Amino acid sequence: MNQPLAGYAPAPVTARMENHGNHMLKVAMQTGNDLFARVGSMVAYEGFVQYEPNPPAVRQIARDWMTGEGAPLMKCSGDGLLYLADYGANVVVINLNGDGISVNATNLLAFDAHLTWGVERVKGLAKFAGQGLWNTKISGQGWVALTSRGKPIVVDCGGGEDETYVDPDALVAWSPNLKVKGKRSFKAQSLIGRGSGEAYQMAFSGQGIVVVQPSEDSTDRLRIRG
Amino acid sequence: MPREFQRGHKARISDLTAGTDLYVGVQISAPGLSFDISCFGLDADERLSDDRYFVFFNQPKSPEESVQLLGAQAGDTESFRITLDRIPAQIQKLSFTATIDGAGQMSQIAPGYLRIVAGGEEVARYAFNGSEFTTERAVMLGDFYLKDVWRFAAVGQGFDGGLEALLKNFGGEVAEEEAPAAPSQPQAGASPGFAPPAFGAPGPAPVPAPAAPQQPQPAAAQGFAPPPGATPPPAPAPAPSVHGAPTIVAPLTPPGGVHVPPPAPAPAPYGQPQPPYGQPPQQQPYGQPAAPGAPMPPGYGQPQAPQAPMPPGYGQQPTPPGYGQQPPFGQAPGQQAYGVPQGAPQGGAGVTAALQQFKETPTGQRWTQQNRKLVRVDLGVGGQPVLARQGSMVLYQGKVDFSYKGAGFAGRIVGNATGQEMQLMRCTGQGQVFLAENSTMLHPIELQGDGICVSAENVLAFDESLQYEVRRVEGHGIPGGALFTMQFTGTGTIVVKTHGVPVVLPVTPTTFADCNAVVAWSAASQVVVSSQVRMRRNAYPGDTGESVNLQFRGAPGNFIVVQPYEV
Repeated sequence: MNQPLAGYAPAPVTARMENHGNHMLKVAMQTGNDLFARVGSMVAYEGFVQYEPNPPAVRQIARDWMTGEGAPLMKCSGDGLLYLADYGANVVVINLNGDGISVNATNLLAFDAHLTWGVERVKGLAKFAGQGLWNTKISGQGWVALTSRGKPIVVDCGGGEDETYVDPDALVAWSPNLKVKGKRSFKAQSLIGRGSGEAYQMAFSGQGIVVVQPSEDSTDRLRIRG
Repeated sequence: MPREFQRGHKARISDLTAGTDLYVGVQISAPGLSFDISCFGLDADERLSDDRYFVFFNQPKSPEESVQLLGAQAGDTESFRITLDRIPAQIQKLSFTATIDGAGQMSQIAPGYLRIVAGGEEVARYAFNGSEFTTERAVMLGDFYLKDVWRFAAVGQGFDGGLEALLKNFGGEVAEEEAPAAPSQPQAGASPGFAPPAFGAPGPAPVPAPAAPQQPQPAAAQGFAPPPGATPPPAPAPAPSVHGAPTIVAPLTPPGGVHVPPPAPAPAPYGQPQPPYGQPPQQQPYGQPAAPGAPMPPGYGQPQAPQAPMPPGYGQQPTPPGYGQQPPFGQAPGQQAYGVPQGAPQGGAGVTAALQQFKETPTGQRWTQQNRKLVRVDLGVGGQPVLARQGSMVLYQGKVDFSYKGAGFAGRIVGNATGQEMQLMRCTGQGQVFLAENSTMLHPIELQGDGICVSAENVLAFDESLQYEVRRVEGHGIPGGALFTMQFTGTGTIVVKTHGVPVVLPVTPTTFADCNAVVAWSAASQVVVSSQVRMRRNAYPGDTGESVNLQFRGAPGNFIVVQPYEV
């Protein structure tokens, strides 16, 4: 009966985090090696995994989040295989290995609890972007999973004075050592309904990379569901 | 997924792959026949002015080794390695040909293909089969040609006369008897006999090969050796300039008009008969390199292989991930399967390594497709502005200005009346702009003086040099009386977006499409509204689903693009 589905069985575990297809994340859970994941991102699990939404530790770090309803992270602990997804978005798995990365809030899917992380508001920009852009800076030895609507692209900022401008709705992640500033390209025309549709961008300069998704729909689907 | 070519299709190689070190594989077979597959390096006049650029089994490489014959491998009957940036300037075109060695005709061949592999990944495939040919004994399969940049064209043009007609087409009559190609080539020039392909002695041409005892075919025993005066006439149409015409020029045998039915493909190892265009990529009838375990074609010069050795990250020492030191906990019964393996994934660790596969592919082209959903335009190349849908910019580098592009007074009236209105912005300046929208798939189409009709909501961006106008499709069944579309003409590139993987259908006498799902069609095809659905609509009170179907008619070579999404 299920021969056509047999090809989608999970592959043997080879790492802490892996892609299952392009759109699903598989995490090998282990006691003592907890995981923070977006609330509502769990689609399946095997074994004994427990979830603690809105853990006190997260609230402490993330008190800057002006969410009003608690942090959008849950702590997962236990032993088993955990499958996470975000409404069909592409999942990108990164083994940080000492590097750091700044991730847009809606594009963060999961990360190891023992990583060093902090929440900061993107300076000079939050008042423009409708959803109030905040980002999570993660570094250390461990794994991070990001989501991207469509296959992302990585652009090297190249250093120097040249700036790379990104539509904030399409931004996924960037190197934390890049300099960020908001750029408004308002003109008088824009106010009379003749804008180019590109009213503000984020300008990155320095040495590092920027990850961009091929979609400008950055709606937080997990948040919508509640 | 390789790009599927059909006869007459052309594309820039840089649009297919960023690499210039390419593997070209040809698979052609027929029961009981063998084929000689060769590559002609031609000059600007499409002449074989330098015999050293006739690469075939007896001369396996060109002098500077930019064209090399590799032999049969990975399911291909013959394969070549082409290094585009080492090809000397006088060589303007590489023509890949297949000739039947012995008696036989091209209508007998089993489904075959010519494919381009770059970096271990197949990027283009032109599939053909016997029904496209009749009595030809040689066929020009495809060309790499230099027109500003290197391009690829799927030609598929047959020659009645076999290899000698092909040589005459390329080289003229000049010294045909003494041509270095001729002596060892079985049917070349006046060589009377059937030299088997292994007959390598480069003796003088007129040596009559004595009836080839190794040849098992009965045809060979008859000594099919036409005297030099009685060679079959060369090809009826000696290759008009294939690349100048708008969409397609290769004379195309209509499918179905086959003079000789192809023989039953009983022993064909590559087997099952299949439609001539568009096999689904996941069924792998020919041991493609994508098949797990199949021998990969040589992946020389992989530009962005995911497993590339990781460049050192941002200055950290590459320590292995050290979080996993805790001993395996006391296993709960039945739970031992969840051990976390140690060690880095293949390809190394760190942000840079993990994101290596998503790196930007830099090329010097004006339009570069970064992946299926993202396209990059370099405004500095070509120096003209780009018109793009408002809000479609996701990232840019350099000094680029985005301004409102109004449709003008007349344009707005037409837009309001027809629904074919585009909210555009003009991107000017110097720099690279990355365009994408809602993770739809993007398809840059290069127009060279020809035209394409695209529905306005499927246009993402285009060069300002293109002209566009609203075109009307008339018909009885359409609500509102007519259907409108944008027709783009001129020279430049237009980026069309589709929801999901589209299907590109050749226009045949019976090609229909739902008017809500059709995205684009080549402007030379004629659109007729098929009225059969209207009767059904009237027969039931509600809307039964299929509203309006469009029928397309046109010369062979026209195509339509349909998306799996009904707007």
